[in-house]
Amino acid sequence: MSSSRSFSIKSLLARHETVLVLVILFEVILFQVLGRNFLTGRNFSNVFRHSVEIGLLAVAMTPVILTGGIDLSVGSMMGLCAVLFGMMVNSLGMNPWLAGISAVAFGAMGGGVNALLITRLNLPPLIVTLGTFSLFRGLAEAITKGAESYSGFSPSFLALGNSNIAGLPAQIWVFFIVAAGIWFLVHRTTFGRSFRAIGYASEGARYAGIPVARNTSLAYIIAGAVAGLAAVILVARLGEARANAGIGYELLAITAVVLGGVSIFGGSGTVVGTILGWIALAILNNGLTRISDYKIMDQTVASVARELSGLLTGLLLLTALTIGASTKTLAVRHARKQSLAKPTSNPATS
Amino acid sequence: MKRKTFIVSLALLATLPFISCSKSESKSKLTIALLPKSKGNQYFVTCEKGARTAAKELGAELKFDGPINSDPAKQNEIVENWITDGVDVIVAACENKDSISTALKKAQAANIKVVTYDADAQPDARSFFVNQATAQGIGEQLMDTAASLTGGEGEFALITGTLTAANLNEWIKYIKAQQAAKYPNMKLVDIKPCDDQKDKAQQEATNLLSAYPNLKAIIGVCSPSVPGAAEAIKQAGKAGAVKLVGLGLPSENKAYVKEGVTQAVILWNVEQLGYLAVMAGAAVAKGELAPGATEFTAGKLGKMPVAGDNIVLGKPFVFTKENIDQFDF
Repeated sequence: MSSSRSFSIKSLLARHETVLVLVILFEVILFQVLGRNFLTGRNFSNVFRHSVEIGLLAVAMTPVILTGGIDLSVGSMMGLCAVLFGMMVNSLGMNPWLAGISAVAFGAMGGGVNALLITRLNLPPLIVTLGTFSLFRGLAEAITKGAESYSGFSPSFLALGNSNIAGLPAQIWVFFIVAAGIWFLVHRTTFGRSFRAIGYASEGARYAGIPVARNTSLAYIIAGAVAGLAAVILVARLGEARANAGIGYELLAITAVVLGGVSIFGGSGTVVGTILGWIALAILNNGLTRISDYKIMDQTVASVARELSGLLTGLLLLTALTIGASTKTLAVRHARKQSLAKPTSNPATS
Repeated sequence: MKRKTFIVSLALLATLPFISCSKSESKSKLTIALLPKSKGNQYFVTCEKGARTAAKELGAELKFDGPINSDPAKQNEIVENWITDGVDVIVAACENKDSISTALKKAQAANIKVVTYDADAQPDARSFFVNQATAQGIGEQLMDTAASLTGGEGEFALITGTLTAANLNEWIKYIKAQQAAKYPNMKLVDIKPCDDQKDKAQQEATNLLSAYPNLKAIIGVCSPSVPGAAEAIKQAGKAGAVKLVGLGLPSENKAYVKEGVTQAVILWNVEQLGYLAVMAGAAVAKGELAPGATEFTAGKLGKMPVAGDNIVLGKPFVFTKENIDQFDF
């Protein structure tokens, strides 16, 4: 499709991913100039150590959004899986790694519940996952009576959240594996390509012989399983499993996906875009903490920088979307002009 | 095309860690990092005020940062950022005891001293805990204040949060002990739970007022009970006739205290808590306060006793009509 197009600055600029790379570079330069200890190995590790759970959720959310759906329940699912994990290890004396695998399985089961309601009963994903958003968190709170928490995990398990492997946080390697797996699924298999077809036109996909219900279900099951994995990683980092794990993470994950250029209506977007969107958000959040205690005209702005994080996240999202949309409009206009001049040429799709 | 963009972006990102050139600051100043449970909470804003005073007196740099939402991972993240910054000492009020301990132990491993205040971490994750008040101190202060208002005699009742709350029961135990030891002419007639709700406290107080016409005082043991009971006394027209003492924030009770419905509000001096916490942190960082010490000098507070690994702020503070305007938490 696009492989025939020649390499040009203009077409490169039109790509959402390029915009994101520029945004990330801008952030890095900005925070290096304004902040303290920003570009240090330790802080670089921290950026990813602290946001890998959101990265995992975002990557797993991508197939769901590609099918035109959404999963609001992943943050609550983390809370539930964290509590179940803690129970299995502390109350049942299970091996933490075995319990971790079980937590992922529970996550997949939760995703299965979403999938069943969405594909078999044809209920809107927004409503179904809004329901399970409350249900999963409620279950986690009921199990722990809201107050109980589990801790005292073995050091070998806590290493998953706090140690380095080959100079990078241990959990980032898990992220690489999951991200590569989902990238391969979405962009290199017919199964994964069907996600976009379903999101683009689910009826059309059905007539084309795609098992829409089965494939859509898989997207939700993956999202649930990865939420379980994210919960285990979070517990390994914090050393405590509590019902409030992952509160609000679903919205951060969706923000990363949308920032990454995935259409919220489904049908278009890439896993790489999501990863770049997540990195842009992770750097923004970390960078703001680096400029705490920064002084403007002798006034310490320590207590302001972090509070700006929400504001700037919103601005970043809207700016990136605006740039993306306007370059796309320009490209379409350009293509139309060309096709009018040469009626035989094929208008390039962006 | 897509792949080219991807490779270019990866290549660019990969170079990032190598361009690093961390700005090195002259490390002559002591850097103290103060972690509140939550940043917007007026209680901790007041702690910060005291902490800033202490930092100024010490000539130290103070970093104050804390979570602004309920994400339990946030405190850990902030501590890890401070480890990156290489602060000298972290002074923390812990929201989730076990999870924050993971991060605090990491700080200790990076040679950063750790002191906790307000709410403790695991004992091996910090060297000292700055305790705002002991259960005994709170219980005795409540009883003493109530007794001084009633002249040491007459019936009194308690309104507590729930009958199962461990900390409240601990305080009640010391209220009873103090009454038995020092005020034999006073009599505890009833203890009512208000489920930590102000309107329930108002109901219970109304019931108490009608059930015990000779009631001389009500002691509110949990903070919602004090304004609740005040409203009940006010509506019953018994302001001043039935004395009201309780534990709570001055700001919640200011109006009633000024009207003369509530006679005294008891709480530790929160500003001093922040001050003492920073002083203790600095002393540990400088090596002036080490395990086994029995006292240390905390600036304008003078010599503070150290019991094991606990530093107690001292007797709780009594807020009355005369002084309540000076406090804004």
